[in-house]
Amino acid sequence: MLLPKFDYHAPTTIDEACSMLGHYGAKAKILAGGTDLLVHMKKRLLSPEQIISLNKIEGLKEAFSQNGTGLVLGPLSTAAYLADSRLIQERISVLAQGASRLGSPLIRNRATVGGNLITARPASDLAPPLLVLSAKVTLKGPRGERTLPLEDFFLGPGQTAVQADEILTKILIPNIQGISAGAYIKLGTRKALEISLVNTACFLELAQDGSIKLARVALGAVAPIPLLTPSVSKILAGVKPKNMDDPVFREAARAAAQESKPITDHRGSADYRRYMVEILTWRTLKNAYSQLMEKV
Amino acid sequence: MNSYSVINSRAPRLDAPDKATGRAFYTDDLYFPNMLYGALLQSPLAHARILNIDISRAKRLPGVKSVVTAKDVQIIRYGVSPARYDETILAVDKVRYVGDEVAAVAAVDWETAQEALGLIQVDYEELPAVFDPFEAMTEGAPQIHDAYTRNICAEVHQEFGNVEAAFEQCDLIHEHRFVNKRQDAAFLEPNNAVAVYDQLGYLTLYTSTQVPHYVQRTVSMVLKIPIGRVRVVKPYVGGGFGPKASASTLELAACLLSIKTHRPVKLHFNREQVFLHSRARHQFFHTFKTGVKKDGTLLALHNTCILEGGAYSSFGIATVYYAGSLLGGPYKLPHMKYDGFRVYTNRPACGAQRGHGGVAARAGFEQQLDIIAEKLGIDPVELRLKNIMEAGDTTCNELNMSSLGMKECIEAIRDHSDWKQKKGRLPKGKGIGLACGFFVSGAGYPIYRSDTYHATVVVKISEDGGTVQLQTGSAEIGQGSDTAFAMIAAEALGVRYEDVRVVSGDTDLSVDLGAYSSRQTLMTGYAAKDAAEDAKCQILEVLSEALNVPVEKISVRNGLVFFEGATPDYMPIRLAYIKEHRGWPYDDRPHDDHLTFKEAARLAYLKRGTIVGTGKYKPPKLGGSFRGAAVGTSPAYGCSAMIAEVSVDLETGEVTVEKVTDAHDCGLAINRTSVEGQMEGSVAMGLGEALFEEVKFNDQGQIINASLGEYKIPTALDVPPVQSIIIESNEPNGPYGAKEVGEGAIMPTIPAILNAVYDATGVRITELPITSERIWRALKEKK
Repeated sequence: MLLPKFDYHAPTTIDEACSMLGHYGAKAKILAGGTDLLVHMKKRLLSPEQIISLNKIEGLKEAFSQNGTGLVLGPLSTAAYLADSRLIQERISVLAQGASRLGSPLIRNRATVGGNLITARPASDLAPPLLVLSAKVTLKGPRGERTLPLEDFFLGPGQTAVQADEILTKILIPNIQGISAGAYIKLGTRKALEISLVNTACFLELAQDGSIKLARVALGAVAPIPLLTPSVSKILAGVKPKNMDDPVFREAARAAAQESKPITDHRGSADYRRYMVEILTWRTLKNAYSQLMEKV
Repeated sequence: MNSYSVINSRAPRLDAPDKATGRAFYTDDLYFPNMLYGALLQSPLAHARILNIDISRAKRLPGVKSVVTAKDVQIIRYGVSPARYDETILAVDKVRYVGDEVAAVAAVDWETAQEALGLIQVDYEELPAVFDPFEAMTEGAPQIHDAYTRNICAEVHQEFGNVEAAFEQCDLIHEHRFVNKRQDAAFLEPNNAVAVYDQLGYLTLYTSTQVPHYVQRTVSMVLKIPIGRVRVVKPYVGGGFGPKASASTLELAACLLSIKTHRPVKLHFNREQVFLHSRARHQFFHTFKTGVKKDGTLLALHNTCILEGGAYSSFGIATVYYAGSLLGGPYKLPHMKYDGFRVYTNRPACGAQRGHGGVAARAGFEQQLDIIAEKLGIDPVELRLKNIMEAGDTTCNELNMSSLGMKECIEAIRDHSDWKQKKGRLPKGKGIGLACGFFVSGAGYPIYRSDTYHATVVVKISEDGGTVQLQTGSAEIGQGSDTAFAMIAAEALGVRYEDVRVVSGDTDLSVDLGAYSSRQTLMTGYAAKDAAEDAKCQILEVLSEALNVPVEKISVRNGLVFFEGATPDYMPIRLAYIKEHRGWPYDDRPHDDHLTFKEAARLAYLKRGTIVGTGKYKPPKLGGSFRGAAVGTSPAYGCSAMIAEVSVDLETGEVTVEKVTDAHDCGLAINRTSVEGQMEGSVAMGLGEALFEEVKFNDQGQIINASLGEYKIPTALDVPPVQSIIIESNEPNGPYGAKEVGEGAIMPTIPAILNAVYDATGVRITELPITSERIWRALKEKK
């Protein structure tokens, strides 16, 4: 398959990229890893006249710790980088787990976190971990810069809050105060190179007294967008589970299943997916809690 | 141990250096001066009448050199079986599936060819389509081919013995239905072809095929060019598995466009077009009714099968026969009845795929044997051993097991997997399962009716006597056949493996039916041995005369000549050889203690001219005289047994195949590494069909997962460790006792996994693939 014809731009600063995007507007597309964009172009689902690559801009491909306020992920950080980075593994392992399950090694070497969020697939491997980590995204456009919580970013399949002239420049992960742990589980047909039938991420943070201070669960492939489940947070907040087998985790998992809105498609049916949300959520919670118990 | 010097070892593959370094040339790597690029216009509708095709705009596009439709060729129907020639290069009057080829374009570059497709205007009158074979067989269903009422492409009714009477003698009769799914063979290299029609009217077609010979004949027949003027060349091929075992529209259109333009034309399928062209495994709807005595003795089987065939016949007639005949063994089954129907639908045509016609039948039947074993309280291993055939046995449908290490295979996997300790003793969620199978080692008859040799081989010795060139039209498609023939020729001549060069895959070289029905090791291998022996005989005759030693007292091994009794004075031969090669340091002194093959072969050249040995193979008359007896006959049968160990997540239904213990009887293993490679490849491929693979359609007849992202073949992480055990019998009809491993090895894979999943879960899955959801649902229903 051949790519349609287009002009290629490789600006070296964000500002330059922004002004190009401002100039071309909807005729342009931003190129990060290209694992979605180029495939769509080959299939003629997209035919942008202008391609603006961010790959020549320095400093977008890594994560770094921002003096006390949290972690900053460059939007061009690849899935392979996120999966293998010590910083990510140590500070926010749930994201490393999600990244390690994305596609195959070849795809992980190209696919970026920014691209993964912008394409806004309901089955994204990176969105649920970032949602449970309370990530925020920074968007830059001709009218300036704005930052919004990731849960306000996704609007529908392939649709986000990004305007046609805005670029996703940063992903911010706020500092975590207490003892915390997360877990990610992906259910697919085969063990790699897979689109999730269901995926779940969870993040638990303990208060001083050993009770759960914060619990967040996010689900993939069971709603039009990667879905945070507030009811789970509500059920678990302030609870002090006896151990990982405490029935409260199953109760929370059931709530997650109720919040999910799966559909039936050729990959799986809605009732199976809904039940899998319960099972996988339960397992992620138990997994995260057992990690916490080891840390205490 | 045996006394072979070359075969039965682990020779490095001849194609390994090219492939490992990325230097192997595939058809798509070929470029010719002035080459044009072709493209095919395919039907967007599943069933429609073509009212009009307007190619005028496409023709006017600058850079377009030719646009052809069915009007530009004389309509000569072709296909696989002459009894069902139902295809044309381009659609005439009607399209029958989404993807049916309507027009072809050649242009100066690929972009222009693609653009031209968009300028062709086709007016269709959409017709009602039918996708379900059961619906297609009902009265009043849309008729896809005029000649075939109720869309029945082929139907088979066979009975051996008396099944009804035998059922009356049975203590237990079990019946169940089993369904697989339409497959894609998912070979790595999509189909490609480059046709070059030269100024003298000779046509050369370079193509990614398994069968240069059949492609040559089809091109010759359809385009009306004498066979001697058509040459088909197969460069390296990235897998075939069956769908590349017949001529395709791609190949014929490339030829047609090259003839029209007098320029080389390259055409290729993208991955979606590979799915649309299909010709892979059918969907089979089997019902098995098996009767046994309470001691486990098998008495009778009634097998009924409906095959969803798609829009054209392809291999389908053979497929529908195989789906019955390949249950004749490897168990003693005195009474067998088979009713099979292959049905046309408005979907891409199905054809042959590894284990042709027998894979779904084997999967369902081996599952049924396990059900019966459980009902009778007999261990599945014991039930099989009780009924197993041995060498010399003939099946009820007259297949002769000239060698059969089936019992040895079962015993080997039982012992190596620790079956006795595990069966019935594993925790819930863990399971172990067994299955067997057998397969032809080459079809007993060519696809067209003929007395042709199935393989001829030429062995030519270089003038210096040092290098052997083996020429064969057979198809190396990644299975290792070139390597096997080099080993066989080296063994037969008595030279070193590294001194044999193989040239293959070209119809100019020899007649060979190609890589299908697991035939080449036995058939081409036999001809290779025959040719090498012929060449050797000529050389030894000359040597015998020169030294005055009878031929019977001379032998050759590892490139050295040995004499029984006293060694004659060969110095005059050596001195002449040295004289001829003065100044050639590496040829100065051939060997200190022995006359070499090289010296003898040089002498033979000096006396007789170029030494050329020829060999040939044709199977003996095989099989019974009943209708369809030809399908399933073979000079030999390979057989195999496999034990799979699985774990099943009882909450999600996910299956993990943890370990496989596999045994295959390939007669004598020519290259042990290649045999193991085929066994492991079969496990991977069978595992995919068992657990993941299914070509899916929407209600318009469009494939919704026509990519390797959405059609799930196993990844490295899905394939378990495989312990491959080679069982060697001595096949009297094979070269050095060798027979097949390529397809037979896949037979037990699916049922072994099915039986292991039952052992782990207590639920029988009778519809493939065994997805996590299917297991989850079955477990839920059981509760």
